[in-house]
Amino acid sequence: MKARDAVFDTLKVKVDERPQSLPQDLVEALRLGAISILVLLIAAFLFSGVIGPLFALGGVEETVMDVLTRLSLLALPFVAYIGGASVARRYTRSDIARALGLAFSSTVILFAVISAGYYVLDYGVFAPRQSLQMTLSQSEAGIRVDAVVAGGAAETAGLQVGDVISAIRRDAVDLDAFNRRLSQSKEGDPLRLRFKRGEEELQETVRVVLVSDKQLGALWPGLALALAFTAIIVFLPGHWAPYIALVGLLSPLIVGYFWVIIATFSFRTEGLVPLDGNDNFGGFTLKNWESIFVGNIAGLEFNIVPIFMTSLAIAVVMTFVVLLVSSMAGYALSRMHFPGRRFFLSFTLILHGFPAITLLIPIFIVLLRLGNIPVIGELIGFNTVGGIALVMVAFQLPLGVWLMKGFFDNIPWDMERSALIDGASRWRTYWEILLPQIRPGLLALGIFAFIGGWNAYIIPATYSIGTGVSNLPVFLNELIDETAPVDWNQVAAVGLFQLIPIFIFFIFAQEYLLNIYAGGTKGSS
Amino acid sequence: MKVTIDNLSKKFGDVIGVENLTLHIEDGEFVAFLGPSGCGKTTTLLTLAGIYKPTDGVIRFGERVVNTVQPKDRNIGMVFQSYALYPHMTVFQNIAYPLKLKKVSKADQHDRVRQVANVMGIGELLDRRPGQLSGGQQQRVALGRALVKEPDVLLFDEPLSNLDARLRLTMRGEIKHLQKDLGITSIYVTHDQVEAMTMADRIAVMSGGHLQAFDSPDELYDRPKTQFVAGFVGNPPMNFVDVSVQASNGRFFAETESLRLEVQAARGAPPASYDGPVVMGIRPEDIQIASNGSVSGEIFVVEPLGREDLIDVRVGRHSFLLLADTEDRHQAGERVSLAFDMEQAQFFDPKTEKSLLWQ
Ligand SMILES: Nc1ncnc2c1ncn2[C@@H]1O[C@H](COP(=O)(O)OP(=O)(O)OP(=O)(O)O)[C@@H](O)[C@H]1O
Ligand SMILES: [Mg+2]
Repeated sequence: MKARDAVFDTLKVKVDERPQSLPQDLVEALRLGAISILVLLIAAFLFSGVIGPLFALGGVEETVMDVLTRLSLLALPFVAYIGGASVARRYTRSDIARALGLAFSSTVILFAVISAGYYVLDYGVFAPRQSLQMTLSQSEAGIRVDAVVAGGAAETAGLQVGDVISAIRRDAVDLDAFNRRLSQSKEGDPLRLRFKRGEEELQETVRVVLVSDKQLGALWPGLALALAFTAIIVFLPGHWAPYIALVGLLSPLIVGYFWVIIATFSFRTEGLVPLDGNDNFGGFTLKNWESIFVGNIAGLEFNIVPIFMTSLAIAVVMTFVVLLVSSMAGYALSRMHFPGRRFFLSFTLILHGFPAITLLIPIFIVLLRLGNIPVIGELIGFNTVGGIALVMVAFQLPLGVWLMKGFFDNIPWDMERSALIDGASRWRTYWEILLPQIRPGLLALGIFAFIGGWNAYIIPATYSIGTGVSNLPVFLNELIDETAPVDWNQVAAVGLFQLIPIFIFFIFAQEYLLNIYAGGTKGSS
Repeated sequence: MKVTIDNLSKKFGDVIGVENLTLHIEDGEFVAFLGPSGCGKTTTLLTLAGIYKPTDGVIRFGERVVNTVQPKDRNIGMVFQSYALYPHMTVFQNIAYPLKLKKVSKADQHDRVRQVANVMGIGELLDRRPGQLSGGQQQRVALGRALVKEPDVLLFDEPLSNLDARLRLTMRGEIKHLQKDLGITSIYVTHDQVEAMTMADRIAVMSGGHLQAFDSPDELYDRPKTQFVAGFVGNPPMNFVDVSVQASNGRFFAETESLRLEVQAARGAPPASYDGPVVMGIRPEDIQIASNGSVSGEIFVVEPLGREDLIDVRVGRHSFLLLADTEDRHQAGERVSLAFDMEQAQFFDPKTEKSLLWQ
């Protein structure tokens, strides 16, 4: 025993991972698989049998629980295979044949058990299927009836072998479309079929029935899928798992971005597929981008430059003012005693929670009055970029001040004291010692403020009615409102155009962020 | 630079940081502030630095009253417990910062930083950032930064408490050595009395915001003026017993129901004339386990300290800490007899806690 341990030590195999006998491993794998099955069954039962009815008692719709139940049942076999395969993973480094053998045998056994369960419970592949009880094949003329089940739905309705089906109601169908339609219908749904018998045009209504044929042949694709899945699990590097989960969760977003990018460069899209005027693959074009710069989209004339500049001005002014005011106010709140400090702190928090929308009208009045003041009115009154930026800044400040206060709170007092004793004035200490410590915070707040300003919609839309002062989001909305029909590929292009500065901003900011973390503001203290 | 503190008080609302502190520190002197946590050491130091404004009292640097002088105009250097290095600056920039603020020329900055860095033994680290240094190295940088502007007064706030025991020992020597070399008036806050005893010319013992004693280490150790000082200075701490001191035939005896110890006349007379029982203090090193001891007791606990064992001996209802050679292999439960060196015994007034021997 000692000698064996020593050998494994030299092989750098952890002692507790030393091979057991094959049956032992298999038992362990099957046990894990069985536990997974049990856990998911219990989860499914909880969702459908306990939580769902409880929700229903409270009058809440229980579709979520329904979905969760089905998800648990859908995941059940795969989780079981993962459970079994996880035992095999210990041998992937040392003995691939053994790993695969073990994983496959556990998967096959688990597959058999689960399939048996399906068979007994009429579930999964053995679930009853919608059927019209006839055999069909695609032919030149249409869908040919090759056979009908004696006494079945089709025969009862009067279909015969040799009939050629062309349409369901008025929709022409081929075999694929027919099957799709069938699988979407429920038991008892009437399907009115148009078909030809010889030269005769006929129509009959067939009612959908549920048939469970339980053909074992239906299992093979499932088994192949299970084995492929198992193989992937066995060989998947462990550190990939988080990435796979992440990509899975982000996939709606990723698909969305894909669509936007594809759409802006194509004439028309169907899903993610770019199409030309004749619905064929292709139709790539720069027209969507071109018209942004030409300044004419579906008859709506505009000049993109001032719109862009307005967006930029709002974002830049906002970033600058928010950073300046928040950091200084945050410093004062963190470091100084003054009357009203506590009140100020709680008041800004309340302000932050205040729904901005409700303030639109009062602020409108304030801006109108401000606009009447000479000089200042030109700068920050109604219908000015300054006015819009001022309002946006005001809404962003409570968050900014609190954020900055938090960052200053985290700087040890000693560092500031040390600078004062070293001979710096308080102002200089702030600029040279404290601000560099909170760079990540400034950057984060700056990004917030910039993106907030850049994407601002409600406030610019409200306080720049009927003038040339409009920024990109307002313009985008105009585009949707005032063109008919809306060319969504064109809208996507404007949307992507709006994203460009943000992308650029991030490319630079990211490098800066990395620098901060690599250089380390965390050091002493 | 002489530092004179007269009747200094610093209050934070109702909380007393330090009260009525009077200290006269000579030019070039090394003074330690010693006291338990929360006794106002840091508060005093920061008030001296100008970070806190005194609530009351006068602080003079030399002849100049500095009560309202800004920290940057006091020409002091300070080393913090947390080192308080600037993490975004390199070691060079950290040390050069005070010079930069003094508008010293670039070339001079360079020379002086190099010089200080070499003295501190961190000449190779100038391009690193504080985050890339060990605790001891950070400590040296902090010291270098405090020294580089050649301050009139150096302030230390527990600068060694974050270092391991070995490094603390070396740094203790180095700081002491540097201070003597440069002759800069230094105030050194610590709650480690070994540090205070070994480094300081004089120690200010504080407790609860008040000054308890201000004297040389030997004086504090041999002639403590209050029971607090006697208990605080010395490790392991002094043993205290309530005794009554009786005179009979010109001889003096300190007595309890289980003890009777003879005291020399010089030490025994003042407590004997006190009306009622007094507190007797005796240091662990003044009690020996000896075969011919006058008192017998039983060993309660033995704590090995390495070279010595710290032994808790119970005599009647009294308990005495004492030190014995590890070689003697004493065991808990063993009966031993103790010899007291009564020439070192201290006596305190139980009400005022003042010494009955020294005023
Ligand atoms: N900024 C402050 N506000 C209010 N109370 C304070 C402040 N600074 C210190 N105190 C109080 O003053 C007293 C003295 O504190 P100080 O920091 O001077 O103690 P210390 O002797 O340095 O203790 P330690 O050895 O733990 O550092 C303590 O009771 C403390 O709570
Ligand atoms: Mg302190």
